[in-house]
Amino acid sequence: MFEIEMLFAFALFSLGVYGVSSSRDFLRIFFSLEMLLNAVIMILATTAHHLGMTQNIVLAYMVMILATLEAAAGLLIFAAANKIAKVVSPDEFKGENNA
Amino acid sequence: MNIALLSVVLLLAIGSLVIKKSVPAIISFILMMFVLGLYYINLDAKMLGLFQIFIYTGGIMVLMLFGVTIIGTEFPKYKVKPFNAVAAFLLFLSISALFLRGVENLRLKLNQPVENVNLFSAEFSDFVIIFALIASSLLYATVKMSSTLKAKRSR
Repeated sequence: MFEIEMLFAFALFSLGVYGVSSSRDFLRIFFSLEMLLNAVIMILATTAHHLGMTQNIVLAYMVMILATLEAAAGLLIFAAANKIAKVVSPDEFKGENNA
Repeated sequence: MNIALLSVVLLLAIGSLVIKKSVPAIISFILMMFVLGLYYINLDAKMLGLFQIFIYTGGIMVLMLFGVTIIGTEFPKYKVKPFNAVAAFLLFLSISALFLRGVENLRLKLNQPVENVNLFSAEFSDFVIIFALIASSLLYATVKMSSTLKAKRSR
């Protein structure tokens, strides 16, 4: 049971890696980054339950807080990029002077 | 029950990457996080599950909806990249193989009595400092970016 749950977490992590490497718009990249962090939280929670590593729950809270902060900072960067250079994809972004 | 919840999580995650309209993709993503919260509750980590559902999912939902106001209801055109898909699949296989190879050792190690009880608290305090540093730098980036946007608007 523990092994299967961990395999699901690895699958979610790989899906996040695929999303980050292949997406061409900011929002999908955020989805994928959140998937990566959710996979990490899932691994921490699963090991805490099945292996008795209860300290992992505290780490899971920390990762969760960082993930929310990362999304807030990332979306503001996206908003700034959109406002300054009028882009929705990181590929189109060339900076303020070249826009 | 756990396997069923995790299957739904994986399906919703794939859906959020595949759906072309932005609002259904966000709904799929938010549902994925909600089901993950239910999974944590099912694992007896009730507080973590409730935190995931009410704070994490709620916060991300608001931020994503803010993103939709910028990109509109449709995502920009997107090409499927088979090389990246194969690379991600290989990553999954390699992590799984490494885990399945070492899981018995992990179990054996955990069954042994802990020699130094204070070892974890010493390591944990380092973790807290690192996390606090990352969190403060992210907060600084958020504040700085919002002030940049404000300056751009007033110009």
